[in-house]
Amino acid sequence: MEFKQVTLNASMLYFEDSISEEVLNRVQHAFHTMRSMEGITDITPSYTSLLIEYDSSLLSHETLENLIKKSLQETHSNVTTQQKHIKIPTDYSKGEDLGSVAKYHDLSIEEVIHLHSSTTYRVYAIGFMVGFAYLGTLSSKLFTPRRSTPRAKVPKGAVAIADHQTAVYPQQSAGGWNIIGHTDFDNFASFSIGDSVEFVRI
Amino acid sequence: MAFKVLQSGLFTTIQDEGRKGVAHLGHCNSGALDIYAYHWSQKLLTNVEENALEVMVGLKLEATKPTTIAITGADLGLEINGAYKEPWQTYAIKAGDILHFSKRITGQRAYLAVKGGFDTPRYLGSFSTTIKEGFGDKLKIGDTLPYDATTGTPPAKVKKEYIPNYETLLTLHVILGYQHTLFSNKEKEKFFNNEYEITLQSDRMGYQLSGEGVFAKSENLISEGIAFGAIQIPKDGQPIILLKERQTIGGYPKMGTVLAEDCYALAQRGPGCKIQFGPYTIK
Repeated sequence: MEFKQVTLNASMLYFEDSISEEVLNRVQHAFHTMRSMEGITDITPSYTSLLIEYDSSLLSHETLENLIKKSLQETHSNVTTQQKHIKIPTDYSKGEDLGSVAKYHDLSIEEVIHLHSSTTYRVYAIGFMVGFAYLGTLSSKLFTPRRSTPRAKVPKGAVAIADHQTAVYPQQSAGGWNIIGHTDFDNFASFSIGDSVEFVRI
Repeated sequence: MAFKVLQSGLFTTIQDEGRKGVAHLGHCNSGALDIYAYHWSQKLLTNVEENALEVMVGLKLEATKPTTIAITGADLGLEINGAYKEPWQTYAIKAGDILHFSKRITGQRAYLAVKGGFDTPRYLGSFSTTIKEGFGDKLKIGDTLPYDATTGTPPAKVKKEYIPNYETLLTLHVILGYQHTLFSNKEKEKFFNNEYEITLQSDRMGYQLSGEGVFAKSENLISEGIAFGAIQIPKDGQPIILLKERQTIGGYPKMGTVLAEDCYALAQRGPGCKIQFGPYTIK
């Protein structure tokens, strides 16, 4: 664990420099432990770290470091109670890139759908745009590079994959991920770091 | 009714101190780009947690009720009924007055506050317009900005010593706390010993600079939270200072973070203006 001051009212808490589910659990735990601390104004968790912003008239980097160390030791057990399981009903019949993804991996479309919908994912980060949750980890058989030419318009609700991750576009936007399905799921504000997510074929 | 928008101006939005406690959902802080000038607009009117218009240039308003305004930040040639008014003070306004930000004299962003604040919607606790998140929009001709009619607000003025000069060469003080070890000493020397120019790609999200390229040892980083003022340096070596509407997370290498107060001063500089970086040590 490393705690670095980045500006007068913000510090970064780093756990490890590689991504894993174990590190995600620690990030999730730290997020829930620190959320209610007085003086903290914002926390941005992501993969292996948390950016912690605070009111510098109430907290300093040093007092915060002591508080965090103490509280993370005290409450090391009850993480899972905070975790939600989110189901995303997914229509795979019109995935624009389903064919090219299958071809890339030398799989059938049916196999791609099965591999995508039979994995339980976790929320590793939220960002890029509001409610965009980076979900990991795809079956290694589905690791797929981004499209060489991003689409100008990826529709809201597009279920897409890129590299080792999958995601749902919370609103229409430009994007380079491969679209393999679509959903009417609209509760993007419910995603929280560490939640588990499942795509249910409809 | 209150202010009627006769000309929308270059880019006019309602702002306050921004949103807090929602970064984990992917919302940017938003808020006034120059918080220093914004705070003075509130203090002059003894407003508490209200709001102000962030004005670039060209905005023209007609008042339909009396109020007192405070004007701070850039000098955008404010005319009230055709007569020039200096910024950093209050002015009493009566029904029928025409306010026009006629031309850019110094700075980029003026703050126009009214006594008691504008009665506009809050989104997740903040008045701040954030167009990309669907929170409000820039002002358009015909919009109205409601406020409560008030009279008798005592006049107030910011003392000269507190009024910034936007014409000086700005030094952005950098805390090297973040990921500076990704940059060799040679790259850091280039960064601190050269002047950079503000490009046209500069807005509420961030200021893109142009100058001597600075290159990181590694480019593929794990995405992490981005602080206000973070200096992101993508592959082309040109620094971007990330401001109020930055993305919440990102994976580009960061040299460090510009002190918040220097970011406020940066927001008053426009394209073509030169800046330099200087190291800052936290006491």
